[in-house]
Formats: sequence, structure tokens, C-alpha cells
Amino acid sequence: MGSIISTFHIDWRIIVAQLINFCIVLAVLYFFALKPLQKLMSERSEKIARGVSDAKQNAELLAATRAEYEAALQKARAEAETIFQEGKRQAEAKRMEMVEAAKKEVNVMLANGKKALETEKTRMVDDARKDVAALIVEASRKVLGGVADSTMDGKVAKEIEKLK
Amino acid sequence: MTAAPGAAVVTTTEIKHESTLFAEPIGQLGGFPVTNALITSVATVIVIVAFTTILRRRLREIPSGIQNAFETILEEALSLCDQVTGSRAITAKVFPLAFSVFIFILINNWIGLLPLGGFGLLEKTSAGLSFVPFLRSGSADLNTTLALAVMAVIGANVFGIFSVGTWKLFNKYINLKALGGILKKIRHEPSVLVIAPVEFFVGILELIGEFAKIASLSFRLFGNVFAGEVLLAAMSAIFAYALPVPFMFLEIFVGAIQALIFAVLLLVYFTIAAQDHEGESRETAHAH
Repeated sequence: MGSIISTFHIDWRIIVAQLINFCIVLAVLYFFALKPLQKLMSERSEKIARGVSDAKQNAELLAATRAEYEAALQKARAEAETIFQEGKRQAEAKRMEMVEAAKKEVNVMLANGKKALETEKTRMVDDARKDVAALIVEASRKVLGGVADSTMDGKVAKEIEKLK
Repeated sequence: MTAAPGAAVVTTTEIKHESTLFAEPIGQLGGFPVTNALITSVATVIVIVAFTTILRRRLREIPSGIQNAFETILEEALSLCDQVTGSRAITAKVFPLAFSVFIFILINNWIGLLPLGGFGLLEKTSAGLSFVPFLRSGSADLNTTLALAVMAVIGANVFGIFSVGTWKLFNKYINLKALGGILKKIRHEPSVLVIAPVEFFVGILELIGEFAKIASLSFRLFGNVFAGEVLLAAMSAIFAYALPVPFMFLEIFVGAIQALIFAVLLLVYFTIAAQDHEGESRETAHAH
């Protein structure tokens, strides 16, 4: 042992000094590099894990929202189709109703027109007859003015009255 | 100053450079011998403190530059530690120590290789002028490797006390449980008369093994790094400046490998100390 100590110049003071050197290295590395770096790395890992989890949740949420949106869109389309069909049906009914009403009105107007025309026609025929009778009387009077007496006038007047 | 047996001796017309087995004293500081290996260790501490301070100031949430490189090294080192310990819990406790040992030895070895070792003192000896370099790898001084080995072995046992308990650790070396079990088991298992003394003797061997660990750790590192220095000195003597260059690269590699070996062995010792062998053997016995 003594020869080893003398050959290698083993000195407990140097051993202690080297231990102190190492302890300084250990303390500096631990407190200024390893500990803060490991803390930073673990925080980063947590953040990444949280980010991945959030992204997954967001993707799920997005998929759910998209499905909900699609369902709402389908429902809205179906409702719109129903409303459109109903509107179409109601419009058709209204149209038919209006056409019917117009037809009725036209018929009434036609009937009234016919009636008025008939009345006018009758009135015109009567007027024409009266005018013709008056013309005949006048003509007869002019032709027979000197010949006919009052009796004859009376007869002619009666005949003309018959014509009327 | 005497050259150790087997040490390379580089002789010029006037100046001698002897690769000694011990770190050469450069001066005295209040009676304290300041050796070139100690200077290298102090330089190592300064380099590490400077690097760590710069790193600490540049720590950002989004890494870049040296932080990026250091984080990559850290992650790889943690992964390697996990492979050795087999448990992230043990790694978390031992990693700072093992990593510090690795960095301390690595930087010490590499600083010892710097051409600054060409600067030194000229001492007058009886044989003429002798060159004493200012820098010598800290690991090329047994005082340094011994300090680290003692720290590693004592640290492993302290870690063992905290992990498995004082009584269990004590029984690992002085197996009183085995001796005490003779009286209990002798009726059912007469073979305990043979097994218990063997177990006690194995405990004593374990205790001796702890000292062997100190010797093996310290002399392995010292021997490898010192051999590298002798090799470089010999190559310089054969053909200065050009011939040592490839060997310099070899020594850079050897320096890293030796630092890694020391750190991994430290991890292994700590892992073994943290395991409850008694519990394991009981489980094995139940399995059989």
C-alpha cells in the first residue's frame, strides 16, 4: 500500500480537491443545466401532449359539428321542399278557384249581355214597326189624301194598328 | 524527478520530458501541492461552468443552437441510462451524478490532449533540464480517478441504504440474517448448516468486492488515459508533430469511451445497490 501511495503520489488533499472540483461540476450541471432543461423539456412535452389532445378533441368537435350541420341542412331542405310543395298546391287551388270565379263572372256577363241584347233587339223591332206604320200611314195619306174620306181613314188606321 | 518504470522518455540535447506515473507539481499554494492534473481539473470546472452559464442564459421554450444540441445529448443519455437501470425512477435519481461524471472525465481527458500541454515549466534536475507541462489530463492522475471511484462506490452504498434500507444493505455484506437463520431452519432444513456459512462468506466477498470496485474503476481510467499520454509522447519522440496526429484522434475517442465506461459502471453499481437481492432470491425460491 505504501509503495502504491509513493509511486502514484497519492495525496488525500488532492483527492479532496478533485472531489470538490467534481462536486462543483455536479452542482453547476444539476442546478443550471439539467434541472431547468428537464423542467423545460417536460413542460414542452406536456404542452405537445395537450396540443395533440386538443387537436383530437377539436377534430372530433369539428366532425360532430359538420354532422350536425349536415343534418340541419337536410332537415331544412326537407322542410323547404314541403313548404314549396304546399305553396304550389295552395297556389294551384287558388288559381283554380280564381279561374272558376272568372268563368262564373264571364257567364254572368254573357247572360246579362244576351239579355240586354235581346231587350234592345225587341225594342228596335218595335220601334221599326212603329216607324214603318207611321211611314205607311203617311204615305197612304199622301196617296189617298183627296179620295179617302174619314171612314176610310179610320179603316186604314185600324189596319195599320194591326200591323203594329 | 524519476521516471517511472515503463514510462516514455523524450530526450532532446538539453531538455527531458518524462511521462511520470504521477501528476507533476507545478507549484505550492500555502503548502498545498498544485499539480498539472489539478490545474486541468480546475480548467475543466471553468469550462463546464462557462458552458453551463451560457446554456442557462440561452434556455428558450423553442430550442435552438447549443440548447438544441444539449437537449439531444440529454435525451440520448437518458435513454441509455434507462437501458442500463431498467427503470426511469432510478434513472431520474442517478442520472445527474452519472452525467456529471461523464462530462467531468470527458472534458478532463480532452483538455489534457490540448496542445497547450506543450507549455510548461523547465525544472533543473541532476540529469539536466526537465520539462513539466502545465496541463495533464486529470484522469491521468490516480488521485482524481481514486476520488471519483470512492465517490461512486460510497454513493452507490448510500443510495442502497435509501433504496432498500440500512439493515438489508448491512446484511448484504455482513450476513447476520443467514447466521441467525441457522437456529430457525436447522430442524426443517439441515442443509442450512452448509448454506448459511457460505452465504455469510459471500457477504464478506461482496464487501471485499466494494474495495475491488474502487481499485478497478480508478486504475482502469487512470491506466487508459495515462497509456494514451505515454503513447502520444512516444509518437512525438519518433516523429514530432505529424506522427502523433492520428493517435491524437484515437485518444479523443478513447477519452470519450473511458468517460462513458466509468459513467455506465457507476450507473450499474447504483442500480445493483437499489435492488433488493433478498426479496429477489425469495421470489426465485418460491418460483422453484
